[in-house]
Amino acid sequence: MKDDFLVFDHVTKRFGALTAVDDVCLTVKRGEFFSLLGPSGCGKTTLLRMLGGFERPDSGRIYLEGRDITDLPPNQRRVHTVFQNYALFPTMTIWDNIAFSLKLAKKEKGEIEEKVNAILGMIQMSEHAWKYPNQLSGGQKQRVAIARALVDRPQVLLLDEPLAALDLKLRQHMLIELDAIHDQVGITFIYVTHDQGEAMSLSDRIAVVNKGRIEQLDVPAKIYEAPSSRFVASFIGDTNFFSGEIVSVEGDYCTIQPEGFPAISAYNDKNLKAGQRVDLSVRPEKIRVTLNPPLPEKGAGINVFPAKVKDIVYQGVYTKYWLQSGGMRVSALKPHSRFLLDQEAITWNDDAFVWWHPDDGYMVEAK
Amino acid sequence: MNGRKSSGKAEWLTTMPSLAWLALFFAVPSVIVLAFTFHGHTANGGVGEWSLSTWRELVDPDYPTIVWKTVRISFEVTFWSIILALPCAYAIARMPKRWRSVVAGAIMLPFWTSFVVRVFAWKTLLHPDGWLQACYLTWLKVCDWSFGWLPGFLQRFLVWTGFATAGHVDPSLATILDSETAVVLVSVYTFLPFAIMPIYTAAEKFDFSLLEAARDLGATNFYSFRKIFLPGVRQGVVSAVLMVFIPVIGSYVIPQMLGGTECILIGNKIFMRAMQNRNIPHASALATLMAVTVLVPMGAAMWWKRRQEARDRRKLDVRTNRLMTSGGAS
Amino acid sequence: MKRSYFSTAMLAAVLAFLYVPILLVVVYGFIPNGIAMSFYDASGNFAGVTGKWYSMIFTGDNRLGALMESFWLSLTIAGLATVASCVLGTTAALALHKWRSRLQSLHHALVYTPLIMPDILIGISLLMLFVACGVDCGFWTILVSHITFCVSYVVMTILARLQDFDDRIVEAAYDLGAGPWYTFFHVQLPILMPGIVAGGLLAFTLSIDDVVITSFVNGAGTNTFPTYVSSMTKHSRNLPAVFALSTLMLLFTCVLAGLSKIVARGQTQKERLR
Repeated sequence: MKDDFLVFDHVTKRFGALTAVDDVCLTVKRGEFFSLLGPSGCGKTTLLRMLGGFERPDSGRIYLEGRDITDLPPNQRRVHTVFQNYALFPTMTIWDNIAFSLKLAKKEKGEIEEKVNAILGMIQMSEHAWKYPNQLSGGQKQRVAIARALVDRPQVLLLDEPLAALDLKLRQHMLIELDAIHDQVGITFIYVTHDQGEAMSLSDRIAVVNKGRIEQLDVPAKIYEAPSSRFVASFIGDTNFFSGEIVSVEGDYCTIQPEGFPAISAYNDKNLKAGQRVDLSVRPEKIRVTLNPPLPEKGAGINVFPAKVKDIVYQGVYTKYWLQSGGMRVSALKPHSRFLLDQEAITWNDDAFVWWHPDDGYMVEAK
Repeated sequence: MNGRKSSGKAEWLTTMPSLAWLALFFAVPSVIVLAFTFHGHTANGGVGEWSLSTWRELVDPDYPTIVWKTVRISFEVTFWSIILALPCAYAIARMPKRWRSVVAGAIMLPFWTSFVVRVFAWKTLLHPDGWLQACYLTWLKVCDWSFGWLPGFLQRFLVWTGFATAGHVDPSLATILDSETAVVLVSVYTFLPFAIMPIYTAAEKFDFSLLEAARDLGATNFYSFRKIFLPGVRQGVVSAVLMVFIPVIGSYVIPQMLGGTECILIGNKIFMRAMQNRNIPHASALATLMAVTVLVPMGAAMWWKRRQEARDRRKLDVRTNRLMTSGGAS
Repeated sequence: MKRSYFSTAMLAAVLAFLYVPILLVVVYGFIPNGIAMSFYDASGNFAGVTGKWYSMIFTGDNRLGALMESFWLSLTIAGLATVASCVLGTTAALALHKWRSRLQSLHHALVYTPLIMPDILIGISLLMLFVACGVDCGFWTILVSHITFCVSYVVMTILARLQDFDDRIVEAAYDLGAGPWYTFFHVQLPILMPGIVAGGLLAFTLSIDDVVITSFVNGAGTNTFPTYVSSMTKHSRNLPAVFALSTLMLLFTCVLAGLSKIVARGQTQKERLR
């Protein structure tokens, strides 16, 4: 385990009565874009600060390239942080901000100039080199903060919610840029965020953190499609939960009887037995809403339920429907396209049908 | 890094210089003053044996009068300073941004001349040969003549504030210099900027659209000033009161230079006892008395503020809890 | 923006009230008849305006010897007290900002209490200390006293600045490899500089203007400018020289303030050009 690039070995950190990080084990591969995703206060920032050297774990060790760095002060580890509010030195120019770590490392003048100019070019800020941080926009400050942390090529770059202070448009732009920078420098990035969209689009792997523990560690698609717990399923994206008991198992499929809802067929990938309680998660975009039931030849083995349209929220890219079916409120998404308009428009209070393929539901064991 | 609890070598090293300095030159001297009050004094200006004689001498009927006079003058000066400072601070805060710093600077500029020199200028101005004295005498004559018809309590108020003489005193004998009026006037002059600045700082942060909102809802100018603006700058007013009240309680230069024999305050007594009569225990006792006069209201104000905060917090907690429990069900 | 005419009128009146004595200070510096403080001579004839006090100051006339001596002493003490209280004040503010221990509660109380104490109490208690220790009052006792009452003001000014200070910036410096000393001198101190300068300016004005505390601890024969002036009577022969000197000081500070404004403006313009 110690041979891995970066290892958290049973790390625990308490603040008074609160256990911020609870016995976490984690390995990160070299050059990976790794995200720690979770709600605020889940302990992800504490994990990051322990890696940066700003907090010391109460128990457990942290290894970087096989070396125990647990007790090293921040200025002795080659791990740099991009802070949420950038923390640029206000009394220094952009150039001096970026050259800070190189000057400390007592590099030669020519080398410093070369490296700073190179990275300024990479973030396209060469013409702003002699400005002060308060003369820059949020996005520009962000790029300078990243450049400052990258210029002496640290072993790991830590990013603490770096995009939280930017507006939506800029955030989307910076996402692409961050990805490009990561590809260019090949340094391991550890990215802390509460925004699942950011984590999904950037990461090689994501660790979903909740209450100081890691709920699931996997590639983004797996996290989304195969959540390991009810928390992960509901935190990452929207979902409909049907809680109930497995009444029968038929080959690869099983039938679930939720409370206040007709029986549902679902893919039984975990080989669960009849009588077990499960939470079935069905993502809204996998549910179709139509005024007529699907044709019988199409509908074989498909879950089809009548429902009443209660609410329609137009969201540009798609429309979100809230429907009442049995005792449940089901949400479903429908993209706009001529193509899908094979029938008349659905309006409020219509009697409609919701349907989805059993493969599109995912079962999470109930605790 | 902020708010770290653990103490270490670094903390000691950064704390020690100032802590030691202030302990040696502020805390220790205060203790010495207190200790001296329990000593008698010797004829040659030294400190005598342990005794309670100094405290016994303080019962001298002169002292309560002087303490009362000091406190009264402090209140008067504070009152006038705040009354003048409020509209000024309001006016500055409502100015365009460019002008604000200029006018605020203009308010503080007089302080770049020496305090003593300014008092001296007043002394010259108020001197019986000076033209202000002539104005004052004329004013008194006009007042006595024109206020005769006012109800008694108003006349008394005007006499109290120095605007009129109630006919008891021959106006030609009334002089500003060497009187309480001069002390109050010049004290207000000296401490007014210290009253304006904290109120202005608070007023600058005040959201003036609140006043417009109040006007919009039907409040008069004065009503919204009183009910919205005043509570909004309360913190500034409190610090302004302290900024004026405390130095006036301890002032002795202004009464000494302008008050003549009529206006002797505790400060003057302390200075006389310490520097002229060389009765050090006596001066110490008076100083202790003054410290108590300042610290008791300060302590009370702080205690009250803390209690208020604690009460607010408790109220908030109760409300949040109620919200949480009622919200938790839904 | 709606403006209230009443409050604006009040402001104008207050400004006039504040500036009348300042105007007089300037005018009195040109008075020829020092004994009667009048523009008229003994027989009641207008004696004109004179610049003799200014020329006496600039030529170092012997008659003003004691006055000028006290003036230079004031400047020396104010300068030294400013430097010392800035050093003490900076370390104190950093400690108060960084730690929340019992030691700091005591520290805070010691820093804060002098602010709510009337000057005269600080003056007399320091006098008592010097009496109790048998120290002769003079230059050093004045300096020590001035540092003592300036420190608290400097601490409060710097603490206010530290409140806006983002502690993450210090972390960022550590993170990029800087040690505590390097961080202090290259990152924190430059950011705190405006606060320290403001605190220092305040200390300088307080020290050069102080008469209450100094008059307790100056001992016989050592006079700062304020104590010297306050010991003069209205009929001192050289009184106009005091006013002339004050006018010069006022002029000097105005020019200095104006210059710093211009320099600051020039700097922002230069930055813009870049």
